[in-house]
Amino acid sequence: MTKLEAKNIVKHFDHNGNPVLALDGINLKVEEGEFVCIVGPSGCGKSTFLNVVAGLEKPDNGEILLNGKSITTPGPDRTMVFQEGALFPWLKVIDNVEFGLKMAGIPKDERRQISQRYLDMMQLTKFASSYTYQLSTGMKQRVAIARALVMDPEILLMDEPFAALDAQTRDLLLVELQLIWERTKKTILFVTHSIAESVILGNRVIVFKNRPAKIKKEFTIDYRRPRLAEDENLLKYQQMILAELKSEVKAQMKGEFQE
Amino acid sequence: MRGKVAAKKIAFYAAIIVVWQILFSLNLWPAHIFPSPLQVALDLAHGTADGTLLFGIGTSMWRLTIGLIISIAAGLTLGIFMARVESVNQTVGSIVLGLQSIPSVAWVPLAFLWFGLTDAGIIFVTVASSLFAVTINTYSGMKNVPTSYIAAAKNMGANSVQLITNVMLPAAFPYLISGFKQGWAFAWRGVIGAEIIFSFLGLGFLLNVGRELTDISQVFSIMFVIMMIGILIDGLVFKKIERKVMSRWGLA
Repeated sequence: MTKLEAKNIVKHFDHNGNPVLALDGINLKVEEGEFVCIVGPSGCGKSTFLNVVAGLEKPDNGEILLNGKSITTPGPDRTMVFQEGALFPWLKVIDNVEFGLKMAGIPKDERRQISQRYLDMMQLTKFASSYTYQLSTGMKQRVAIARALVMDPEILLMDEPFAALDAQTRDLLLVELQLIWERTKKTILFVTHSIAESVILGNRVIVFKNRPAKIKKEFTIDYRRPRLAEDENLLKYQQMILAELKSEVKAQMKGEFQE
Repeated sequence: MRGKVAAKKIAFYAAIIVVWQILFSLNLWPAHIFPSPLQVALDLAHGTADGTLLFGIGTSMWRLTIGLIISIAAGLTLGIFMARVESVNQTVGSIVLGLQSIPSVAWVPLAFLWFGLTDAGIIFVTVASSLFAVTINTYSGMKNVPTSYIAAAKNMGANSVQLITNVMLPAAFPYLISGFKQGWAFAWRGVIGAEIIFSFLGLGFLLNVGRELTDISQVFSIMFVIMMIGILIDGLVFKKIERKVMSRWGLA
């Protein structure tokens, strides 16, 4: 069953008063339970596309369908894990995780019960009463993932959530996220600029073409899980995608030098 | 570390008293314009014993508290509206900056004409002195909430009221606190200034009485009390909150 469908999404940005095309007719279907990665050079518009899916930005044209229904506003059926975490520093870890449930008016006892489960899943139980400034960057992203999962979303959106992490922490979380995906059977749409991340995580990897963003090609990664960062067999997938992206990065550099 | 700082402070204040006493003993100025430390201490003891000092402090603090509560409630409301509704900011916002620049005693003639010789008049001056500092800080705090917090809150289903109460106000808390702190300092100046001119009870009144009776010890002792209340409130209330806020909000 198709969980999410993007139909001909077009979006312009304002650049010194001139409209610049950012998303040039994106068509994408994500099936239920799929783990889809979007990979593309920095600034290619992939995060903008994710924001449109989340309902945080409005497209100039096209529509987003969730379970066949058109959506226009943000909502907890499409929770997002942000690159910088965006945790609330005035709340304890457990209150951060419960935030969406509280907004939905779920009673405190029930909230505690649900959030406890996700704190356990993310191995955060010991840190339930900590404040975010007491956590490492990796811990913060675990909290952010728990906070998104607690809403039991139809689809989980992830916007470069591991970009700010050190390599060791990132490799651990890459494995953990695969286990969580298998356990919760969530549909995940994951945006990254790292080809390595995309082939470790995705069943499908969508390569975005640069400025304006358009889907250039897609790859199916049919390989056993959990995939480890150091697995050499993943290299051939990486190289295929790299070949596709190289021309894009070159084109972007050229464009930037000319500007 | 803490003991060292305290020791430094004690030595400093002791030095001031010693220098003060020496200056007094030198007879540089007549005693009715320059009292000795002992005379001021006696005046404080006397004022405490007969209750005038406590009554004065009580009156001023009561006016300050009422005025500050009104300022904080109104300032928060005004600041939130300015931050959320652009046309309120464009209209009301422009005048708030101007009103903020009016010195607190400049409100006194208006307060006198509108409220006469009443507590309400003095409270009016207190509110007028502090309201706009609270408003401006609330506004800046709301405007400086990281966009990622707002996106995250909407993403998790917060409606527009929940967005303000559960995200924007707590995120703006460091600004709100500095608004309250400025507001309190302006309010305190406003109360004392108004009391001096209204000459209607309170510490400002006692200060004025000291002048009228050329009782220089009373002038010194009341000024000392005004300063001590300032130090106490800043240290007991605001320093503690600020320290907590700075570390939790990741600003320290």
